[in-house]
Amino acid sequence: MKIIEWFLDRFRLRSTHRGIFDRNIPEGINYFYCLGGIAFTAFLICLFSGLFLSFHYIPSEKEAYLSIIRIHEEVNLGKLMRSVHKWSANVLIVSIILHSIRVFITKSYRPPRELNWIVGVLMFFLVMIEGFTGYLLPWDQKAYWATVVGTNIVGSIPFIGEFLMLLIRGGYEVSGTTLTRFYSFHVLWFPLLMAVLLWAHFHMVKKLGISKPL
Amino acid sequence: MKKKFYPDYLIEILFFAILTFEVILLLSFIFPPVIGREIDFISPYQPRPEWYYLWLFWLLRFFSTDTVFIGGVIIPLICILFLICIPWLDKRIGWRWTAILGFIILLLFIVGTIVEGLS
Repeated sequence: MKIIEWFLDRFRLRSTHRGIFDRNIPEGINYFYCLGGIAFTAFLICLFSGLFLSFHYIPSEKEAYLSIIRIHEEVNLGKLMRSVHKWSANVLIVSIILHSIRVFITKSYRPPRELNWIVGVLMFFLVMIEGFTGYLLPWDQKAYWATVVGTNIVGSIPFIGEFLMLLIRGGYEVSGTTLTRFYSFHVLWFPLLMAVLLWAHFHMVKKLGISKPL
Repeated sequence: MKKKFYPDYLIEILFFAILTFEVILLLSFIFPPVIGREIDFISPYQPRPEWYYLWLFWLLRFFSTDTVFIGGVIIPLICILFLICIPWLDKRIGWRWTAILGFIILLLFIVGTIVEGLS
């Protein structure tokens, strides 16, 4: 197909495309090496179900709880999307933990891959924080009080605690301000940071190659 | 035999990606989410976090109100710092000792999750 050839050439996809696909895979790799890929798949499913949820979710004090009910009862496949979002997040966390155990056991974090290990730890931390900020968004009893308890812990740090708590809550109480703030963190700040870190992670995997099994 | 990314590895990746998708879909259908109760702002309520925060929740029981930040902030930060330092710890004290330290943290996570999950 000429037009495809033209597209690939003008888009300068030819070289990188070949680069990725022609890579040699070291011998002796087992199925535990799939855990990172499973984590990435779970992340993508989580991302897309979240994008669909954001069509209908309203991050305001008065509307948040009602919009969740609407997603559940009126929106087409809305309940399924909520379910998929929740379960893909759980699968994501389990697979990240198992993936890091695999990397540790095969000693793949050793130089020259130590920076990639650090990026991975940062992503794990980010996913945990995503779980915390996402927990408030349904704006129900459990969500509200979990955030009160969680942010109280931050507030108990000596000297800087109060400042940090005000920064996170956007006031002295957990309120609608906190909700919009957490929404912004959950759907804009953290996913953006996550995308940068994921790019770095894959970039290093590509350039350094898959570590040789022991 | 030498393996290439394409087609040997790619087909395995795709297989596991589809399998992951199916497992998530199956879990979603079997365990659908519920709508929580409306917020009761007046009476304080002891919430339960998601399972991946249960270990922290368990840890907090050992600290009083004034020192709660040790369990809730300092210890998790030490865990993250430990994870970041693993490549250098490995060089200093060897893989075996690093593994033992890592296993202690993993044990903390597992024991905390089970104890708090059962209570």
